[in-house]
Amino acid sequence: MKRLLYVVVAGILLLCFTPGIYAGALEDIEKKGEFIVGVRDGAIPFGFFDANNQHVGFSVDMAKELHKGLEAKLGKPIKLTLKTINPKTRIPLVANRTLNMVAGSSTHTIAREETVDFSITVFLTGTQLLAKKEKGFKSYKDMSGKRVGAAQGSTNEKAIRDLNTKGKIDPPAEIVVYQEHTQGMLALQKDIIDAYCTDGILLAGLKAKAPNPDEYELVGELITYDPYAYIVPEDDSNFRDFVNIELINIIKDGRYYKLYEKWFGPGGVVPYPMTQEAETLMKLQAWP
Amino acid sequence: MLSYNFNWSIIWTEPYGQWMLQGIWVTVRLGFICWFIALALGIIIGTFRVTPFRPLRIFGAVYTEVFRDIPLLVQLFFWYFAAPSILPKSIEMWLYRGLPDSEFWIVVVGLSIYTSSRIAEHIRAGMQSISQDQYYAALSTGFTHFQTYRFIIIPYAVRIVMPPLTAECLTVFKNTALAMTVGVLETTFMSQQIEAYTFQGIEATTAASLVYMGITLAVVFLMGLVEKRLAVPGLITRSGGR
Repeated sequence: MKRLLYVVVAGILLLCFTPGIYAGALEDIEKKGEFIVGVRDGAIPFGFFDANNQHVGFSVDMAKELHKGLEAKLGKPIKLTLKTINPKTRIPLVANRTLNMVAGSSTHTIAREETVDFSITVFLTGTQLLAKKEKGFKSYKDMSGKRVGAAQGSTNEKAIRDLNTKGKIDPPAEIVVYQEHTQGMLALQKDIIDAYCTDGILLAGLKAKAPNPDEYELVGELITYDPYAYIVPEDDSNFRDFVNIELINIIKDGRYYKLYEKWFGPGGVVPYPMTQEAETLMKLQAWP
Repeated sequence: MLSYNFNWSIIWTEPYGQWMLQGIWVTVRLGFICWFIALALGIIIGTFRVTPFRPLRIFGAVYTEVFRDIPLLVQLFFWYFAAPSILPKSIEMWLYRGLPDSEFWIVVVGLSIYTSSRIAEHIRAGMQSISQDQYYAALSTGFTHFQTYRFIIIPYAVRIVMPPLTAECLTVFKNTALAMTVGVLETTFMSQQIEAYTFQGIEATTAASLVYMGITLAVVFLMGLVEKRLAVPGLITRSGGR
């Protein structure tokens, strides 16, 4: 009996620590009949809950377009499941294959390439600061000795810490770390922090959704370069190719520009005209 | 099954090791401060609930029910985001800006009050298990109500409920993990930070788990020593001897 116990435990440990032979996301989706996509909650307008408590957003719509393409490719109906994630959990959940993809507002960085893979770029922005107009901040240098909020695990938190350690902000800013942008925005409203730091487009979204948007302004230049891409599992060429080709199709037949108009156009949630660079990037990314 | 590269050394390599140590120090400080404040408050509120004076009893009951029945995370958000708005603007700004480590002290308030409501219930249970004879004996030898509680009833009740109080002490240390949601840089936060920088989630979470286990086992050991030191021989016996 004891012998059997040892064998079973050894077997379980062996299973846990052998490198896995993973089939691939496309096979996984086909087998389960389910396409699991991680989407954001507080990232306006990429993924958020609207007034009717519906999960909506630019990336949510893109995920739905990808889902249509997936059904066409696999030739059978697939269920689309949207799971809410935050900046801290999105990469681990794709790395361990809980999610097939994350369609949110994730920056494509070299450091992250070690753990996960990314699709082609879908949006261009950079780290900026949001503060109340009355404070009169002009650039990130005004943050010395002030309290700046950021979301744990985001590129923006790292950017502000880097500015501190490299001495670009002297004396260093005090960084208060929250879990999601909604908490950071609440803290900014209540003057718990002097400025909130995240990607420029997300700040525009937070400002648009604030009770009095005119109180706030985006401060200063872009501190970092943040190209947004969708996160896909590491080492899965087939799935990444599918996502990229589908995104290129969406760009080529104009659906991308329609969705852009819907969310970032003059009548959209966050008016943000497409910059010349972004237009060029989208055109150049669309391989023949 | 798992395609994961283990790298246990990240727990102690710089700067991650330094982060963990800072986090552990914050957790230990937070736990200790909250525990002693909660113990003092809890004994007072628990006593309120069993006094013959109706206003004190009602106050005790309301306090206990309000802070026991709302989840701790909701209470922490209340104390951090909502409560300071009630104060005058200058005090509110001093609280958020002038006070160093304001997140830490706001969590001290929230966690102490929550734990004190639970300790109050334990103390009340302890007191109600003391027979009325003790109380009457004390009154008949000339003690006032206050003196009876201070010298006879409370010391007796605390010794009776030592085991549940030990459990509450452990709970306080475990609950300090929730402080990360309002920006306190304690152990859980630091382990998540290490995961965010290195993507080695299993090592980071294991480190945090071992830290908490270490702290709680130390607490159990210390409370055991306290219990032995405070025991009055023959005071708490099962009826029927032995």
